[in-house]
Amino acid sequence: MSNGHKLHSIFTLIGLYFRVNLASAMEYRSAFMLQVFGMVLSNGSFVFFWWVAFSQIGARIGGYDFTDVMFIWAVTSSAFGTANILFANMNHISRLIISGELDTFLLQPKSVLTSVLCARTSLSAWGDLLYGFLLIALTQGADGRAWLMFFCGLVIGALLMTAVAVTAHTLTFYVGDASTLAGMSVEFIVNFCIYPKGIYAGWVQVLMATLIPATFMVHLPLQLARQFDLLLFAGLLAASAAYCSLAGFFFYRGLRRYESGNLIVTRL
Amino acid sequence: MPANPQGQVAVPDHKRWGADRGPVLKLGKYLAIAKINLHQAIVYRSNVLGGLLFYALFIFVFFSLWRAIYHGGEVQGYSLRQVVWYLCITELLVFGCRTPVFTQMNEDIKTGALAYQLIRPCHYVAYQFAGAVGRMVFNLVCFGILAVVLGMVMVGPLPDYALTKLPLGILSACLGLVINFFLLMCLGLTAFRLEENGAFYLVYQKLVFMLGMFIPLEFLPGWLQRIARWLPFPYVAWAPARLLVAFSWPLFWQILPLQVFWAAIAIGLSLLLYRQGMRGLQANGG
Repeated sequence: MSNGHKLHSIFTLIGLYFRVNLASAMEYRSAFMLQVFGMVLSNGSFVFFWWVAFSQIGARIGGYDFTDVMFIWAVTSSAFGTANILFANMNHISRLIISGELDTFLLQPKSVLTSVLCARTSLSAWGDLLYGFLLIALTQGADGRAWLMFFCGLVIGALLMTAVAVTAHTLTFYVGDASTLAGMSVEFIVNFCIYPKGIYAGWVQVLMATLIPATFMVHLPLQLARQFDLLLFAGLLAASAAYCSLAGFFFYRGLRRYESGNLIVTRL
Repeated sequence: MPANPQGQVAVPDHKRWGADRGPVLKLGKYLAIAKINLHQAIVYRSNVLGGLLFYALFIFVFFSLWRAIYHGGEVQGYSLRQVVWYLCITELLVFGCRTPVFTQMNEDIKTGALAYQLIRPCHYVAYQFAGAVGRMVFNLVCFGILAVVLGMVMVGPLPDYALTKLPLGILSACLGLVINFFLLMCLGLTAFRLEENGAFYLVYQKLVFMLGMFIPLEFLPGWLQRIARWLPFPYVAWAPARLLVAFSWPLFWQILPLQVFWAAIAIGLSLLLYRQGMRGLQANGG
C-alpha cells in the first residue's frame, strides 16, 4: 500500500470513529450540553484572571499583550479539545497495555495506534474546542492571519499533544505502569502553553522546544500570526511531523514487547 | 432499615444532634474516625506524590509569571516575595488540602450507598468531616513542608516576619478549610434534590480560584472587592494567606469574625440540607 493510500485509510478510520462516538454522545444530550457549558465556563474564568493581571501591570507580560495571551489560550483549548474528541483513548493506553486489552485492537485489520486512540471520546472536550473559537472570535476579530494560524495551531497542537501522551504511555511497555507520568506530561504541556513564553528562564524555554513541545503548539503559531515567515512555517510543520512520526515509531517498537493477557473483551 | 409508613427512613436517635451521649464520648468517637483516616493516608502515602509534583509545577509557573509581572517595588501593597508566599499558602489550602467531599456525597446519595453509612453509630455529616480532618492533617503536613521549601528556594524568607503571629494565621487557615469543606458539602447535598449538580461545583471552584486563590483580593477592581468581601469565597484562601504573609491586628479583627460567621452559616446550612434530604430519603433493600 502506498503512503497516500495509508494516510487515506487512517483518515477514513478516524472519520468513522468520530461519527460513531458523536452518535453515542448525542444519546445523552443533556449531559453533553451540561459538560460543554461547564467547560466553557470553567475556562472562561481564566480570562478574568488575565484581565486583572493586565489591568494591574500594564501593556505586556513576558513579551505578550492581552490579545496574544488570549490567542495562545484559544489554540491550547481548541487543540486540547480536538485531541480529546478524536483521540481520547490516549489517556488510557497504559491501562490497556497492563490489563491486556490491546489484544482486541491487534486483531483489527487497520492501524493499531489509530484504532486505540480513536476508540473513546470525551464529551467535555467539545467545550474546550468551542471555547477556543469563542475566544479567537472575541479577541482577534476579523484578523485573517490570526484565524489561519489558529487553525494550524489547533491541528498541530492536537497532534503534538497526542504524540506526547502516546510517547509517555508507551513507556509502560518498558518500565511498567507509566500512567501517572503520562497524565503529568499532558498537564505540563498545557501549563507551558497557556502562559507567555517570555516568563520562563532559558533552560525552561529549551525544554519547551524539545521534550515538552509547547513552543511548536502555540508560541510559534502566535509568532507566525503576528509576522508570517514561510521558512519558519515550513520548519514548524517539519518539526511537528517529525515529533508525531517518532511517537508512532516508538509505540510500534514498544508494541513488540507486548504480551497478550488472553483476556476476553467485548467491545460494544 | 426501619421505615415509617410513608416509606421514609426513620432517623435513629444517635443521628439527632444533642441526643443521648455525653459530649466527650461523642468527640472521642469522631477523633477515632479522624485517626483511622489519618492512618489510611499515611499507609497510602504514595498517592500524594503526584499531587506534590503538580503543586510544585503550579508554584513554579506562578513564580515565573509574577516575577515577570513585577519589575520591582510593590503592587497593591504586596512585594514579589509576599505574592509568592501568598500563592504557596493559597495553593496549599485549596489544592493541597482539597477534599473529595462533593463527589463522595454525590456518589453516596445517587448510588444509595448513603443507606449503609446511616447504620454507623454517628452523624453522617460529622462522620464525613472527621474523616476529612484526618486526611487533611496528613496533606497539610506534606504540602506544608513543600510549600515552605519552595517559598524559601524561590524567594527566601519574608523580611521581619513575626513568628508569634503564625498561630493566628494558622487559626484563620483552619477556619478557611472548615468553610471550604462545609460549602462543598452543601453543594454535594443538593444531590438529594437535583440529579445534575456538577455545574454548581464548577462555579464554586472558579469563584474560590478567582476571589483569592490565584490573585489577592486587593488586585481586583474596587467595586468587585467590595462585592467579594460580602461573599464567603475569599475567606477560604485569601483571608488566611493575607494574614500569614502580612499580619495586622486591625485586619485580623476584621477577618476573623467574618470567617466564624461564614463557617457557622456553612455548617448550619449543611445540617439543614442533610435533615431535609433525609426526610425524603427512600432506601430500597440492597
